[in-house]
Amino acid sequence: MTIDIYWQLDTAAEPARGERSRHRRIASIAREVRTATQGRFDYYAQIAQGAAQTAFDGLFLPHREEADDSLIVAAALAREVQRLALVAQFPASVGSAVYAAKQAVSFQRATGNRLGWAISPDADIAARAGGADHVREEELGARAEEFLAVARGVHGESPFSFTGRHFEVQGGGFEVPLNRAAFPQVFFEGHEEDELDLSARLADVHLFRDTSFPVLRERIETLDAAAARHGRTVRFGLIQEIVARETGEEARAEARRANVSQHALVGDYAAVADELAARVALGISHIILIGSPSLTEVYRSGQHVLPRLRARLTETRQAA
Amino acid sequence: MSIDFYWRLPTHGCHESLRHSAYDRGDWSPVKAGNVAPGLNRNGEDDGYRYIDHLAEIAKAAEASGFIGGLIPSFPNTDDPWVISPLLARETKSFRFMIAFQPGFLNPVQAARMSATLQRATGGRTVFNIITGGGGPSQLWWGDSFAHDDRYGRTTEFLDVFKGVWREQGFDYKGRFYQVENGGLAPLLAAEEIPEIWFSGSSEAALQSAAKHADYYLSWLEPFDQLGDKFARVKERTAALGGEQKCAVRVDLVARATEEEAWHDIRAGFENVPEDTRRRLGGQATDSVGASRQAALRPSEVKRYDELIVAPNLWGGFNLLRGGPALGIVGSYEQCAARLDDLIARGADAFILAGTPHLEEAYRVGEEVLPLLGRRAEALLAAE
Repeated sequence: MTIDIYWQLDTAAEPARGERSRHRRIASIAREVRTATQGRFDYYAQIAQGAAQTAFDGLFLPHREEADDSLIVAAALAREVQRLALVAQFPASVGSAVYAAKQAVSFQRATGNRLGWAISPDADIAARAGGADHVREEELGARAEEFLAVARGVHGESPFSFTGRHFEVQGGGFEVPLNRAAFPQVFFEGHEEDELDLSARLADVHLFRDTSFPVLRERIETLDAAAARHGRTVRFGLIQEIVARETGEEARAEARRANVSQHALVGDYAAVADELAARVALGISHIILIGSPSLTEVYRSGQHVLPRLRARLTETRQAA
Repeated sequence: MSIDFYWRLPTHGCHESLRHSAYDRGDWSPVKAGNVAPGLNRNGEDDGYRYIDHLAEIAKAAEASGFIGGLIPSFPNTDDPWVISPLLARETKSFRFMIAFQPGFLNPVQAARMSATLQRATGGRTVFNIITGGGGPSQLWWGDSFAHDDRYGRTTEFLDVFKGVWREQGFDYKGRFYQVENGGLAPLLAAEEIPEIWFSGSSEAALQSAAKHADYYLSWLEPFDQLGDKFARVKERTAALGGEQKCAVRVDLVARATEEEAWHDIRAGFENVPEDTRRRLGGQATDSVGASRQAALRPSEVKRYDELIVAPNLWGGFNLLRGGPALGIVGSYEQCAARLDDLIARGADAFILAGTPHLEEAYRVGEEVLPLLGRRAEALLAAE
């Protein structure tokens, strides 16, 4: 089994870096030559390059209401990094499912099928009302389900018609050459029963985050069984914060200083690689790593953790 | 007075010449030797280039030759402008991305988020061509089942919300189509400029919507006096409604060193059009008023290219040679510039120009026609 390893490019993280309006003035004795066209996206591009140059397989761009839109950022970076997968997270409230599929197909055609769709958990009721989204709480699951049914439908069939509670299409469906592109791999996330149930029916990959090893094992088994009841197979992913340093002491000191999540993997490079390998053994096939500051840590993880992790996985495969 | 000149990014493939209808740029045709993006490499295999690589070339040609940006059209079998624009954002410098967009297709707050992000990615180079017309079966293809006047009502509300969340924290809105409670873009995004908005549509419902929200009123080319009257009417009507409207023309050019060369290309193209295509001049069913105005120009049967010359340098058969509107300008560089000047004198404040092939013609029109502009317009304006 191939393990895909992504770096999280979080548009809300380190909000001042590269941001023109928040540039610290350099000392007045130094000549300032930065231009108006330099900005935040140059930093995003550097992180993407960092991931590409250190053999990551892709970038994961979480949906952030307070920051840049993940789909636009993914597209803006796609031609700067020729190999990386770009998994952009957005809610099923973005609008027409046909239009979302149309945009996805354009992205796929231009990038050699490198787009992934991560459907984000719906915002709370106040945030939804602020976002012109008035679908009732109990309808959100059905909306997500219809969104994907329509998006996959217009991509896979022509003519395609659909009449649901949230979406309607008549005589739809993409033609040659648009229908030649692959539909993006679909990611969902969550730990709740209804979230696992949705993934059992719809997800290509289900993402877990910020959890303990035993809970992760239990949730994987639950979802695996639920998917089997629907005659499907779902792959599993893990969004994992790491603090990896040359020595365990340094890593723990940094974890204390940065006050990371209790489920962050903290240790020397080999220890973190071992912990990740143990989660692969549970069935995790998509690993999304989180570290901060992003550019520093993408290089560190790519240079030191990834080679050790991949070596472990190769040993395990050979032993099996 | 300053006039904005846009070019166009063809989103349904391009062809090397108007003389032939086969799309040999892009994968709307089978990949074969002589095609590009994708084409074949020296071993006869797909060379790996994609149509976006060709679009990047066109955008760079347009910005290098003096165009301010380009219209990026959207139809069922095209690539999408919301994706093309960010894909090309970082490799272009001044090119403005004019996104053709039907408001019903995105949640208005999401559209505002995406637009503000694109503004940040491009340094404020986003422009919208808001489209509301069309209708009938083509709307249902997109999953959109609104009747014509309802759709203008929705466009108005969409732009109310789009601009409202951008300008105001704690934004509330209660419309027929959209409701917002305590909305507002994140401050980082709201700090960007709201993109310029171009509007199309000739009906009263469209003009009411335009008066409220549009910066530019965009029309296909029509016979000049008719278009001048239309612009005057639009400016007058939208002013009465409390808006201010600049006017713009979208037109294809065949500009050559001599008029004879230009007509020679038109004639060759016309003679390569199969007879059954010529018979289909009526076009597809649509409830768009603009499309009906164009359709009225098309005689049902024509035998010779010059039967479609409707005025000096104006040819009404472009839709036979490529998808899109029928009427375009044909002539020498000087004549093309003079016709554009005529349009400026009739109220045009901006243009979306195009020629086939889009890459090479961007340089030609930019280098040969744009520098000749203004002489006649200034004379005509001075004579008023």
